[in-house]
Amino acid sequence: MINYKGYITLFLVPTIALFMLVYAVSLVILFGTSFTEWSTGLKPMFVGFRNYIQMFSDDASFKEGFWNTTVWVLLQSTVHVLIGVVFAIILNMKEFYWKFARTVFMFPNIISGAAVGMLFLCMLNPNFGAVNSIARLFGHSDYAQNWFMDYATAFLSVTMTWLPYAAVVTILILAEIAAIPDSLFESARIDGASELKINLFIVIPMLRNIIGTCVILAGTSMLQKMDIIMMTTGGGPGNTTLNLPMYIYKTAMMENNFGYSNSVGVFLIGFGIVFVLLARYLFRIGSSEV
Amino acid sequence: MNKTFYKTSSTIAGVLMLLASVTACGSNSSSGSSAPSSGSPSASATASAQPSNQAAAKAPVKIKYLTFRVGTHASAKLEAEQIKQFNEKYGKEIEVQVEEIPSDSAYEDKIKILAASGDIPDVVMGKNGINDILIKGNLATPFNDYLSQDPEWAKEIGDEALAANTRDGKVWSISDQKQTVGYFYNKEMFDKAGIKPAQTWDEFMSNNEKLKSAGFVPLALMTGENAWTTNLILASIVGTSGEAGNKFMNTLHPSDFNTPEMIDALGKVKTMLEKYTTKDAIGAGYANAANNFCQAKAAIIANGPWMIGDFSDTTKCAAGFDQKVGIAAFPGNGMISSYEVGYMNGGKTQETRDAAEKFIRFKTGLEGQRIALEFGNVVPVSDQVQPSDELKQKYPLLVESIQVGNQSQVHYGSFDSIVYPNVSDAWKLLYPELVYNKSTAEEIAKKLSEIAAKNK
Repeated sequence: MINYKGYITLFLVPTIALFMLVYAVSLVILFGTSFTEWSTGLKPMFVGFRNYIQMFSDDASFKEGFWNTTVWVLLQSTVHVLIGVVFAIILNMKEFYWKFARTVFMFPNIISGAAVGMLFLCMLNPNFGAVNSIARLFGHSDYAQNWFMDYATAFLSVTMTWLPYAAVVTILILAEIAAIPDSLFESARIDGASELKINLFIVIPMLRNIIGTCVILAGTSMLQKMDIIMMTTGGGPGNTTLNLPMYIYKTAMMENNFGYSNSVGVFLIGFGIVFVLLARYLFRIGSSEV
Repeated sequence: MNKTFYKTSSTIAGVLMLLASVTACGSNSSSGSSAPSSGSPSASATASAQPSNQAAAKAPVKIKYLTFRVGTHASAKLEAEQIKQFNEKYGKEIEVQVEEIPSDSAYEDKIKILAASGDIPDVVMGKNGINDILIKGNLATPFNDYLSQDPEWAKEIGDEALAANTRDGKVWSISDQKQTVGYFYNKEMFDKAGIKPAQTWDEFMSNNEKLKSAGFVPLALMTGENAWTTNLILASIVGTSGEAGNKFMNTLHPSDFNTPEMIDALGKVKTMLEKYTTKDAIGAGYANAANNFCQAKAAIIANGPWMIGDFSDTTKCAAGFDQKVGIAAFPGNGMISSYEVGYMNGGKTQETRDAAEKFIRFKTGLEGQRIALEFGNVVPVSDQVQPSDELKQKYPLLVESIQVGNQSQVHYGSFDSIVYPNVSDAWKLLYPELVYNKSTAEEIAKKLSEIAAKNK
């Protein structure tokens, strides 16, 4: 019998080394310094749970950032995934347009976040933006909605820069649909099932695992989202579009308060873990039962 | 057996990597380094004030320099020319390794992150709170010894500029330019509205109304980024409001914004944002405001003389636009007049500190100031540097700007030069609150005080 132990160890080492260097050390430092008062130029000073107590008791900006982050996670893991799934099912009908539509739908996902931010800044500019210009064409000559800065529209405007562009979800779902045996579809059709019924009672239940994965991918992407917010609103007006990553950035880079910023970072990681566990539980990811 | 083997090997590998990473993190102190603040000029540096043949024989000392003055930045040309001329003169002794960072805020973020790891470049621009971080972290070398050994250089910078960057007797940075900021106005629009530059703020508001009645948008304002053009007006209202307001605008890191002058100024700016500016001002960046003025969509923009070159640049303004632009001091004969923080010496060894000092001396001495004036319309810190005849002919507005600056009587700093970085960052969030009536001027002033108190 061949002894694989040496090879297994050898192959494990690069992964472990990378994890230790890139993540584990950073996480230990992050967690450790979250219990300190630490700003650049000074040594960290242990303050116990003070940062965490302040976060929950006396920090309105954190609460607003947490609320916005939660709403965006929920929207992204539901509406965004739903759009992707529906689009995939439509494309799966393989009508004449399906390849063209799949490619076009992918465009927003291959453009960098900063470029998407600039694009929307121009499109929604109150003076020369395409949206207001179209409104003016229809007789509203003075129409000058400030989409990103008006309290009534800022959150929605920022949300619309990412919510509908679910091409990654669509691609994953399409791949999973392609793996469903043709015999199932044929049996259903012989039994007289309509396309709607086939999709509702055969396709979607069989996509449970991949939909769960998409929910995790989409939801956790909102825990990292900062580029577009930075480019468009900076978290404003007020704190209307502030999320936790943006708040962490501001606390560290603008207030030079790295200790507090790291405690918010630890909270954000905890939030992400809870979300992933919840999604795994709800979608029974990994289980083969339909 | 298997489980134990995997556990042991994984644990050993993990511990080894952790040790390696910790050791690597702690190994950035080189043998030649010493505490920055204890630095003083070496014999070679002292001698290098005069031409030295010895230095040319050695391999050039490498120094790192990060700059945001690149691409379309207003000072990109002057930066490139200064580096080119420095290389021509000192290239055999010093090799400046330039890293281009294509925005001010990206530069600030990068330096702050490098400062957190104690690995800053040899030459650092100390803008927007970077100087405080480097001083607090003992990451920079003061220039006192260098200046005392080269009094000619000290004279070229001037006492006022040196004093502006001195803390507890230590000169932490050398200013390379003076900010003298009034406002530019479109003479054609002013003539059509039948107005002249205002002498009082009431007249300024009345001019805005007359411009509006004549069919023009009076002000090119913006509240995004650091709300630069808007805040120049806000600073001027406060700075010209009397002794208390002027003192406030000349105080480094003010902590209490809840003052009658500040509240009154915020009220006036609210009116300007509501009634007298372009529709995109709330949330707009500097480029939008500059474009609105250059494209004759607004009559007034507050800004410094570095913008003068744009008026004759046909990629930014219509041909002949420079003939239509006038310059004025703010009402109350006030002008923003402050010295830039300038350059700090972040060298870690005596050799790099001396080389960095030489680079900074070139950039901030008469030669560097002259290049900055000729290539970037930057106001020099020394009176010894005057615009050339060619420059005067090319940019008569620059001469006018210097004259207006000399005639102005009330001087104060810009908000960016006096407040903490987190306050600079807060304007873009607070102005919409003010304009959309979510907060009153009093509440905004209170919030600014709270934000300033958060700074570490």
